[in-house]
Amino acid sequence: MAEVGKIRIKLPQTIKKDEVVSVKALVMHPMETGLRKDKAGKPIPAHYINDVKVYYGNDLISSMEWTTAVSADPFITFYVKADKAAPLKIVYKDNKGGTYEDTVQVNPQ
Amino acid sequence: MKDSKESTGLSRREFIKATGVACAAFFMAGTVPGLLKPALAAEEKEDIKDVLKKFFGDRKIETGHVDLKVPIIAENGAVVPITVTSDLPMTPDNYVKKIYVFAEGNLRPFTASMELTPANGKAELALRIKMRQTSDVRAVVETNTGKLYQGSKPVKVTIGGCGG
Repeated sequence: MAEVGKIRIKLPQTIKKDEVVSVKALVMHPMETGLRKDKAGKPIPAHYINDVKVYYGNDLISSMEWTTAVSADPFITFYVKADKAAPLKIVYKDNKGGTYEDTVQVNPQ
Repeated sequence: MKDSKESTGLSRREFIKATGVACAAFFMAGTVPGLLKPALAAEEKEDIKDVLKKFFGDRKIETGHVDLKVPIIAENGAVVPITVTSDLPMTPDNYVKKIYVFAEGNLRPFTASMELTPANGKAELALRIKMRQTSDVRAVVETNTGKLYQGSKPVKVTIGGCGG
């Protein structure tokens, strides 16, 4: 996987103050279960995101716990009440210690 | 099809590759290595009743307030898009604290959970999950007052997690 950890976060183009807006987030990740074997018969080690945290401004507003049953290249949609102009940060952590994060600015009008 | 657009946005090739890998992995294993019993045989499937008991004990789980959007037929068990919505309020005093997702036919049914706060404004989570076989998808939501609600819907997996 060439681009493990590449993240895209998408917000609606225009956001009104106090509107509940959708946040779509995609992260490139193999979400390897750990019990699959490669062609030589060697087990491929587990490699999956198990912890996701969402920050809006300084607040942790959501956190997620994932297992290997989340599809590869996880794509999620959730909601945020846009009550302030602040950065929205998503931090993904995987079982091998990898940390991937990206931030978008929420600018309600 | 001779479409040579190879590098638009997220490489489709990469995506398909990753999906296939996950798919194959899932068919062979479907185990959650994070759980405490690595010695458990792959065929030993956790029953949804036991899983719910492990998560929620003997607490009563009422039906309702949980809407699941799932495909009736999933052509690819490695990528099944689901949406969990609850119509429960998201006010500072009364809100959905956590959403749990279970794929009942999987060896390890627990798939994902999400903790929410009133700042989310709406209790909804959409994600894509792997399903080993045709089964129900179940979602449970927990409110900050400790109430549990659930909903479930069947998904028919035609290419069962890539092989079944």
